[in-house]
Amino acid sequence: MGYLQLMGFGPDGWGSDMLRATGMTVAVASSGFAIGLVFGCLGATASFSKSLALQAAASSYTTALRGIPDLLVIYLFYFGSSSLISGVGSLFGSDGFVSAPAFLTGALAIGVVSGAYQTQVLRGAVLALNKGEIEAGRAYGMGYFLLFRRIILPQAARHALPGVGNVWQLVLKESALISVIGLVELMRQAQVGSGSTRQPFSFYLTAAALYLLITFISGQAFRLAEARSMRGLRRGV
Amino acid sequence: MSNSVRPAVTLTGIRKNFGLLEVLHGVSLTANQGEVISILGSSGSGKSTLLRCVNMLEVPNSGSVSIMGEEIALNHRSGHPSRPKYPKQVNRLRERAAMVFQSFNLWSHLTILQNVMEAPLHVQRRDRNECHAEAEALLERVGIAAKRNAFPSELSGGQQQRAAIARALAMRPEVLLFDEPTSALDPELVGEVLRVMRNLAAEGRTMLIVTHEMDFARDVSSRSVFLHQGVIAEEGLSSEMFANPRTERFRQFLRRDGAASH
Amino acid sequence: MPFDPLFLWQTFIALLAGIPLALKLAVFSIAVGTVLAFSLALMRVSRRWWLDFPARFYIFSFRGTPLLVQIYIIYYGLSQFPGLRHSLLWPFLREAYWCALAALALNTAAYSAEIMRGGLLSVPAGQIEAARACGMARVLVFRRIIIPQAIRQMLPGYSNEVILMVKSTSLASTITLMEITGMAAKLISETYRPVEVFACAGAIYLTMNFIAARLFALIEWSLWPERRKTRGPVDLADQKGELHV
Repeated sequence: MGYLQLMGFGPDGWGSDMLRATGMTVAVASSGFAIGLVFGCLGATASFSKSLALQAAASSYTTALRGIPDLLVIYLFYFGSSSLISGVGSLFGSDGFVSAPAFLTGALAIGVVSGAYQTQVLRGAVLALNKGEIEAGRAYGMGYFLLFRRIILPQAARHALPGVGNVWQLVLKESALISVIGLVELMRQAQVGSGSTRQPFSFYLTAAALYLLITFISGQAFRLAEARSMRGLRRGV
Repeated sequence: MSNSVRPAVTLTGIRKNFGLLEVLHGVSLTANQGEVISILGSSGSGKSTLLRCVNMLEVPNSGSVSIMGEEIALNHRSGHPSRPKYPKQVNRLRERAAMVFQSFNLWSHLTILQNVMEAPLHVQRRDRNECHAEAEALLERVGIAAKRNAFPSELSGGQQQRAAIARALAMRPEVLLFDEPTSALDPELVGEVLRVMRNLAAEGRTMLIVTHEMDFARDVSSRSVFLHQGVIAEEGLSSEMFANPRTERFRQFLRRDGAASH
Repeated sequence: MPFDPLFLWQTFIALLAGIPLALKLAVFSIAVGTVLAFSLALMRVSRRWWLDFPARFYIFSFRGTPLLVQIYIIYYGLSQFPGLRHSLLWPFLREAYWCALAALALNTAAYSAEIMRGGLLSVPAGQIEAARACGMARVLVFRRIIIPQAIRQMLPGYSNEVILMVKSTSLASTITLMEITGMAAKLISETYRPVEVFACAGAIYLTMNFIAARLFALIEWSLWPERRKTRGPVDLADQKGELHV
């Protein structure tokens, strides 16, 4: 079967399956990314807190999760929650292994890992804030919430954008790992297809191309956002 | 021509443009051995470009450059930027016309001593002990021998520039090229660099100096050249030029930039 | 789950068996990848479009796709071509070890190339000009001025890349290799105690990365006598560069 037929949308074509799987990839990556942002905010806040315990917690979180392979974290979440659920299930009389939902555990795992990176990005963004401008805001009588909303947030967002964009690319590629716990995103779909048609190269190459496409489009989107956020600023370097 | 009679630097009909902008419209200048020539002019007059044409950091689009009587062979092709024909010739002549830059440009990963020894050692392939001894002597001479093992980032601007001068001298050049050597320095530090340069001039060195320092130009240089919009508007003996400016342009320039120097 | 030191110890011992393979994969892929990366970086800064564009394409492809895809293409995908199956390379391409090594090397080359390129471009133009003005030929300038400074500049980014590579070796477990993560997965499926196994495996990786970070801090310190006071030991935290799996 020629490549076009293989990947087309005809009766034997895998095109629609691959596209659906791509959608799943974007979905699980976005969810993981969102969770990661939450953890990142929490982590960054903790790292700036006055409590030494919180600071230590944030620091251990980032060090640990950036030093341990993502695959291991995914295994932990998947098998961990599965055995938890199985354990709970056995209380209710079911036996055997109940597997946790792959999407949820996968997204959670990616979220926790990317949260560690986001913590650093957000920390860096806050540290980069221009103290003078905040001081000026205070001098003009801005209350904390107003200050935060009008000065701190927009500026921190500007500094954070490149780093956040990087983390998104990371999460996108991490999502491929969720295939090992059975979620039918792009990698898994390619595996299924190649197993079925004995044409692994075609499938994996297509998967690669689709990843490149998403990477490229997201990259452009972030670049646009960065350019907009830098409006009115002269680049120092 | 015997060595003693050869002019140190000869620039003939130098034209240089950057894209559509012509910066030098045919400038000719001869520096004889032992002369100290100041090149003056306001920004945009092309003075730095002219100096950089001497050691081919800029390649003129037409005209010729000779150092110690040897002309640098150039390839002029219409539609293409001009290039020197023989890179080896350029490298060789660059050893004879050493340059001191406005922003010092010391190599930040080397100590001061290593900076001064670098070219003699690796370009001129001289004996290491000889280079070391000479470098020490030069650092002593410019007054920063104590900083020999420091890195450029640990020195003040004036010290860095003096180190840069030592570095230039280490190559035993016949000509010294100074590209606005004190423009990047805080006012208090300018004096120490000018002092070194004065000593060099008193020794009889051939120096081409692009500078804003009017007092220095008047006192130390034998000849001065005033560039305006890419041509030499006035030139002559420094003592005369400053006392009796002939052109209105130069008069204006003296009033604006030279006013502070009295 | 009660804290079971005996189990932890047994798990730890079992996992140790995976370390040699993990280290082999990491060391060799970084070695090969670095050489490749240097060529790519030179191509990128060469200012010749016919060198720059292929390098760009390579870097874009390898940084824009997951490492897992790259591994699968080499391990599973290449078997699709009868030509390759009968070629001289086949004994290598059949083995998971060589496929993993190749994928890891090609992958790290792309990331390292950009780091090196950053280092090469960071050398101040004025210093290069001063070197040229002394009569230094281009190659000499490159060797004496550009490379020493470029290496210092790229060390933090590069050390991060090395740490990421060590983590990336875990993906070799997806193609049957029994390095640390592979061992861990097996143990989890045998003992159903994922948390403890994870803890042990994680501790091993953290230790390896800690050692790597310290090594790089040492290299940085020795190469940079005038150490910038603001820079702390090489910290996983510092990087703003690309991250990858």
